Amino acid sequence: MLSIQGRQALAKLMLPLFFVLSIGLVMLGLTRRPVVDRLRMDVADALSPAYRLMAAPGSALADLRRDLVGLTALAGENARLRAENAKLRRWYDVAVALANENAQLKANLHWIPDNAPSFVSGHVLRDAGGLYGRSVLLAVGEGHTLLPGDVALDAAGLLGRVTETGDRTVRILLINDEASRIPVMLTASHGNAIMAGDGSPYPRLIYYAQDNRPVEGERVITAEQPAPGGRAHGGFAGMPGGLVVGTVHYLHPGSPVVVPEASLDHPDIIRVFNYMNADHDGPQAPGRVPLTPPMPVAPALPFIPFQKPMRGQG
Amino acid sequence: MVTHRLNPEIHPGIAPRPTLRRRLDMAMRALMPSLFVVVSMVILSADLGLPGQAELSFALATGTVFFWSAHRPASMTAVMTFCIGLIGELLGFGPPGVLLFSLLVMHGVAHLWRYGLSRISFLFAWALLGALSLVLSLFGWAIACIGSLTFLSPVPSLFQMAVTIGVYPTLSALFSWARRTVADPEQA
Repeated sequence: MLSIQGRQALAKLMLPLFFVLSIGLVMLGLTRRPVVDRLRMDVADALSPAYRLMAAPGSALADLRRDLVGLTALAGENARLRAENAKLRRWYDVAVALANENAQLKANLHWIPDNAPSFVSGHVLRDAGGLYGRSVLLAVGEGHTLLPGDVALDAAGLLGRVTETGDRTVRILLINDEASRIPVMLTASHGNAIMAGDGSPYPRLIYYAQDNRPVEGERVITAEQPAPGGRAHGGFAGMPGGLVVGTVHYLHPGSPVVVPEASLDHPDIIRVFNYMNADHDGPQAPGRVPLTPPMPVAPALPFIPFQKPMRGQG
Repeated sequence: MVTHRLNPEIHPGIAPRPTLRRRLDMAMRALMPSLFVVVSMVILSADLGLPGQAELSFALATGTVFFWSAHRPASMTAVMTFCIGLIGELLGFGPPGVLLFSLLVMHGVAHLWRYGLSRISFLFAWALLGALSLVLSLFGWAIACIGSLTFLSPVPSLFQMAVTIGVYPTLSALFSWARRTVADPEQA
């Protein structure tokens, strides 16, 4: 046992020691952030049932409030829905006609369809970004096969990408996070750009061609980006092309931003897609000579200078 | 330390028997502030739909550590502060180490100046907490900027400071009552 003086000296040393440890943790966070985030993901993964339990009263209250508000505005809501239904019926006819035409054209072209993507739906458990980050933790259940890089969409458009995976949860970096960089394609000007998050609700467009600037109001979709090394090798999924992101808008002259279609403020139900077709290195071109691996030992050929080619060779 | 009226001891030297139940009661009362912070951090890390949950979590933790380190250091020792900070670091997703460092600074300052804090009025203590929360929030902002190698907006940090200053009077009133009643180990 320590003496009273020893214990007092130890007590005085504790606070400086803890300060040193905390500064060490700050340094670890700056240099090895994934290590800390891995630990936090494990804790959040273990606490996910508790999070669901704690959010239950809030979501029940929100449902009740929505029902009550709906009851008060029943007549107006019915009129709005009738008008919307009539409009949607017209769009349904157009969609059916276009689908038939599309099927006919694909049949003529002997189109090979892409693999249907598998997806996992989940509720948002909690915010996982802190003060400056924009990311959420999603409950996807046990036994999922999601990888970092898989895309997350809500009902309207692209929401983000998976950055960390746990046993029951995945962490999704939203497209307006400071660290988010998404390759996008602009549908009207046919240009390419990078959509960079900056913490604001509207991610910026950067690295577009200066002679082909984004046009106000044009639609922004994702550009295909193969997985580095392929899904089987790398453990990081690629980005599929053609997913709806939003529309271009100029907040200030010369600084185009994207107004996202997805609800970034309060995401609730999110689907995480597993697009296998974005993970290949490129199609096998017909007639392309496959690369043969180099032979382990090159056979020594006899060197015969100035030999005339025989007929039929060369 | 703030002097407060204790019950007059009719028979000094005679104390209740230190049974297991009483010792547990005393330990729980001493741990009450730490448990309050940990439970509030766990609850505020869930998706409750409240605006500014991360800021509120920081405000509750720093306010609690500041109050108890100044007014009853035995209920908020350096070890307890460190443990609270570590749990907060594991529950949050902010820049690592910032919350832990902030809590230790709050504890260090409040513990060092506890005699002075007991003599000055509440307003001065509140102003000291505000100044500390400003410095620590800007420290968190600087670390976040260095971590992302970009110039981030300091508005979230200033909002966190405002929440910390705004919450403290309510916390202080609650803890002043708790210090005399439910969190007083002498009343076990």
